[in-house]
Amino acid sequence: MARDPKYDILFEPIKIGPKTLRNRFYQVPHCIGAGSDKPGFQAAHRSIKAEGGWGGINTEYCSIHPESDDTHRVSARIWDDGDIRNLSAMTEHIHKHGSLAGVEMWYGASHAPCMESRCTPRGPSQYASEFEMQTYCHEMDQDDINEVQQFYVEAAKRSRDAGFDIIYVYGGHSYLPLQFLSPYYNKRTDKYGGSIENRARFWVETLEKVKNAVGDDCAIATRFACDTLYGEDSIEIERDGLKFVELADPFIDLWDVNIGDIAEWGEDAGPSRFYQQGHQLTWQKFVKTVSKKPVLGVGRFTDPEKMTEVIRSGQLDIIGAARPSISDPFLPNKIDEGRVDDVRVCIGCNVCISRWEIGGPPFICTQNATAGEEYRRGWHPEKFPKAGSEDSILVVGAGPSGGECARVLMERGYTVHLVDQAEKIGGYVNDVATLPGLGEWSYHRDYRETQLEKLVKKNKNSQIALSAKPLTVDDCLEYGADKVVIATGSSWNTDGTNAATHDPIPGIDASLPTHVTPEQIFAGKKEIGKNVVILNYDPYYMAPSLAEKLAGDGHDVTVVSAAPFGHYMHFTLEAPNMHRRMHEMHVNILGDTAASRAEANRLEIYDVYGDGSVREYRGPGKLPRNENKTHRWIEFDTLVLVTGRHSNDELYRGLKARKDEWKDNGIKDVYVIGDAWAPKLIADATFEGHRLAREIEEKRAQYPKPYRREVATWGAPHMPGGEYEIEYQN
Amino acid sequence: MKILVAIKQVAILDDEFEMLDDGRDVDHDFCDYEINEWDDYSLEEALLIKERSNSESEVVVLTVGPEQSEDELRKCLAKGADRGIRVWDDAIEGSDQVAIARIIACVVEKEAPDMVFLGVQASDHAFAQTGMTVAAMLGWPHAAVVSSLDYNSGDNHATLKRELEAGLEEEIAIDCPAVLSIQLGINEPRYASLRGIKQAAAKPVEDLSHTDLGLNDNDVGEAGSVSRIRKMYIPERGHAELIEGTSAEQAKRLAEIIKEFRGV
Ligand SMILES: Cc1cc2nc3c(=O)[nH]c(=O)nc-3n(C[C@H](O)[C@H](O)[C@H](O)COP(=O)(O)O)c2cc1C
Repeated sequence: MARDPKYDILFEPIKIGPKTLRNRFYQVPHCIGAGSDKPGFQAAHRSIKAEGGWGGINTEYCSIHPESDDTHRVSARIWDDGDIRNLSAMTEHIHKHGSLAGVEMWYGASHAPCMESRCTPRGPSQYASEFEMQTYCHEMDQDDINEVQQFYVEAAKRSRDAGFDIIYVYGGHSYLPLQFLSPYYNKRTDKYGGSIENRARFWVETLEKVKNAVGDDCAIATRFACDTLYGEDSIEIERDGLKFVELADPFIDLWDVNIGDIAEWGEDAGPSRFYQQGHQLTWQKFVKTVSKKPVLGVGRFTDPEKMTEVIRSGQLDIIGAARPSISDPFLPNKIDEGRVDDVRVCIGCNVCISRWEIGGPPFICTQNATAGEEYRRGWHPEKFPKAGSEDSILVVGAGPSGGECARVLMERGYTVHLVDQAEKIGGYVNDVATLPGLGEWSYHRDYRETQLEKLVKKNKNSQIALSAKPLTVDDCLEYGADKVVIATGSSWNTDGTNAATHDPIPGIDASLPTHVTPEQIFAGKKEIGKNVVILNYDPYYMAPSLAEKLAGDGHDVTVVSAAPFGHYMHFTLEAPNMHRRMHEMHVNILGDTAASRAEANRLEIYDVYGDGSVREYRGPGKLPRNENKTHRWIEFDTLVLVTGRHSNDELYRGLKARKDEWKDNGIKDVYVIGDAWAPKLIADATFEGHRLAREIEEKRAQYPKPYRREVATWGAPHMPGGEYEIEYQN
Repeated sequence: MKILVAIKQVAILDDEFEMLDDGRDVDHDFCDYEINEWDDYSLEEALLIKERSNSESEVVVLTVGPEQSEDELRKCLAKGADRGIRVWDDAIEGSDQVAIARIIACVVEKEAPDMVFLGVQASDHAFAQTGMTVAAMLGWPHAAVVSSLDYNSGDNHATLKRELEAGLEEEIAIDCPAVLSIQLGINEPRYASLRGIKQAAAKPVEDLSHTDLGLNDNDVGEAGSVSRIRKMYIPERGHAELIEGTSAEQAKRLAEIIKEFRGV
């Protein structure tokens, strides 16, 4: 189908300095875990988006000098010729598709802990990072300022040599240029501090120097947090924000504006739990009232209607996107081809970000199982190898893992029967999406539902059987499938089994009317009393979400939390506002508190660190620490059990136990994926379904094929022509 | 015991579609095809009776339709029907529900089943007449909109419930053989298994023409029909107009509209 003409404006080219962006789709800088050290990963992940129609595609933040070293987190680096070589792979592959490649030149000051380089970063004033633990910077004098500005200039030249078209001076997320601009960091009294003109000086001078050095060949961009959300203690859009735009405008070819800082950068990369598409526009839209240059902005833009409206109404010129481009690298092409219903819409869970926050691992995406797997596994998000056999496949369970597995198998051309007891595809995502703020997580289901419904029509022997009778082991054996995939998910424990003791908690029993699991809450059959205690040993969203839901429904909620409450939500940037919400809703959180036993209406709890700090050998049968005497009882009307999960693997184990009957029934193999294999993130369950579908012809397809590793190679020095042998100073 | 289940392959319209040039039907390029939803229930009812039976019993599925409708027969065979019959030839093209019923009645006479099940209606043309027309042509006992059925193989009568207006139900006893039109929700239709699908490929489907059934050219097609589709179209919607401007301007526009309507 052809593009809907109402979206034409999204496909109009636009000039940015000496370059032309072919359309209005622009992947803003975002980390993936590749940096400069995994050039294949970097080149493949970015260029797949060029193939998918994004007009401009950037690196992640890219360090300009060892003084800005973010180890343990992974940035790109443009420090030397070795980095030029590695990043050139990215620019070359992007250029093949006619898109522009950008680099985000980054100097972090105190926010860069320099754990690899062991350098001391320089900053506008000396301060301790509010983001990074225990890192201070050295306050710059004029010589330092000149030198650091020269770092930018040299890095810009190297970037040009690496083939970049767009060169950023990165001042979003409270990095160096913004630190000069903001009185929160800048306490100087010389010509770089005080008035807005003085505070802007470092940034404007740097832009001017970079423009003079490479401005004929490259477009100069800046990322600007136009409001840091601290009120008048820092940058406010209608005060210093717009003044800075005025001062810097002459040296800039492209503005990339967002909001927020680094310590709470979830205000920029807003999780769907708190923020919807376009949530930054109320600030961003001012920039175009002052600037004469193209302005782009982010805000989890996924919907072409909204994108069109934002451009038509003059709020932005270009649609910037990080997460939507990860979730669907082919979003622009799908809009162009009139296939909006095929877009794999970002659910805003921020699991992509969690990996950067954890510091190091390659990123993942809940929606797009191929994100990060382009190079090492050779997975294209929209192309699938043809079926390797005539095998027909029964997939039991249409949740994240089974649904994805069936989708990819059908894409490959296999005959697939997808069977689920539920009346809808989606598995437990259907429940999770009813939790406060998680409605957009249902896009995970929607994408698979839409695709499966289309795919099943292409093969008259394929079938999606919903509201089906639960399949028994006999049913599966007799089903007539060549291969059986078990994706039956997991359930919350009913007896208190948890990650701390690995055992049930005496007295806990979800068959009691007053003890409930999350599933029982979703089912809505048990009455929830006024006084609710949530017993939590889980590190992610279930306890905070249920606390919010139940407090919102008028219950008094106390959380007894043995695991750090909502800990993983720090990594997804949901934690700060989640805690604010708990506070607003008067949820009482007892941290570092576990439970030892329960009765119908009371729970015995204790302080996790209530035992003795001295450890000594006291003989067999005796604990090496003094006894914990902090135990006490608390009462409840309803006890909610968020203690742990277990695989629903009876069907798999039942089939495994009758392996000798497989052959006679024509079954070649049986697999288990997703939570039924072991409970995990939705992203990982989705990945597993996808992986099995791609590798199903392998001999032992249950287990992943090795992937292509990118590691520093002995004998190949990083610096072209450099040394690699061990050498000591004389 | 033998039950004959007559099914229809129905068209499912795409979100956007176009009409044929003669304006009498939708352009079939814009359609998907599947089995009529009601027929899933009548097939299931037949299969349940067969499964309960301890004597030899057979479920025969019949459709009147072109080659592609064999897909639907195969799906029924995959669920457990024993054999299929498909009646079609060029002369049948253009048949209305009466002509189709005539063909079905001929097959019933040929097969002599103990029961004939049809869906209450087909979701595409929605005549809701075929079943009862078949019964009338055969002169058999019949019941329409059956929502519950008590009948076992070998019985010479059945007890059943029918849905009436306002939530009323009627319970009746009927002699067999009979023609029943089956309502949605009477049971929970099953899905086919892969084994069923594989086995269905080997089950017999008999292709018949109207002459094989002893019918003349005048009995089928437009000649054998009592009605003919003249036109199929989406009626034009009325529209509202917001009259703006000063009171004088508004009055003027109102007067214009009244004139337009009156055709002055
Ligand atoms: C995984 C991930 C990593 C990011 N890394 C960077 C980065 O290196 N530099 C940067 O300026 N912004 C980074 N961001 C922020 C994005 O550029 C963007 O401002 C934010 O995600 C909001 O855009 P979105 O709503 O389209 O995702 C990152 C975002 C994500 C999702």
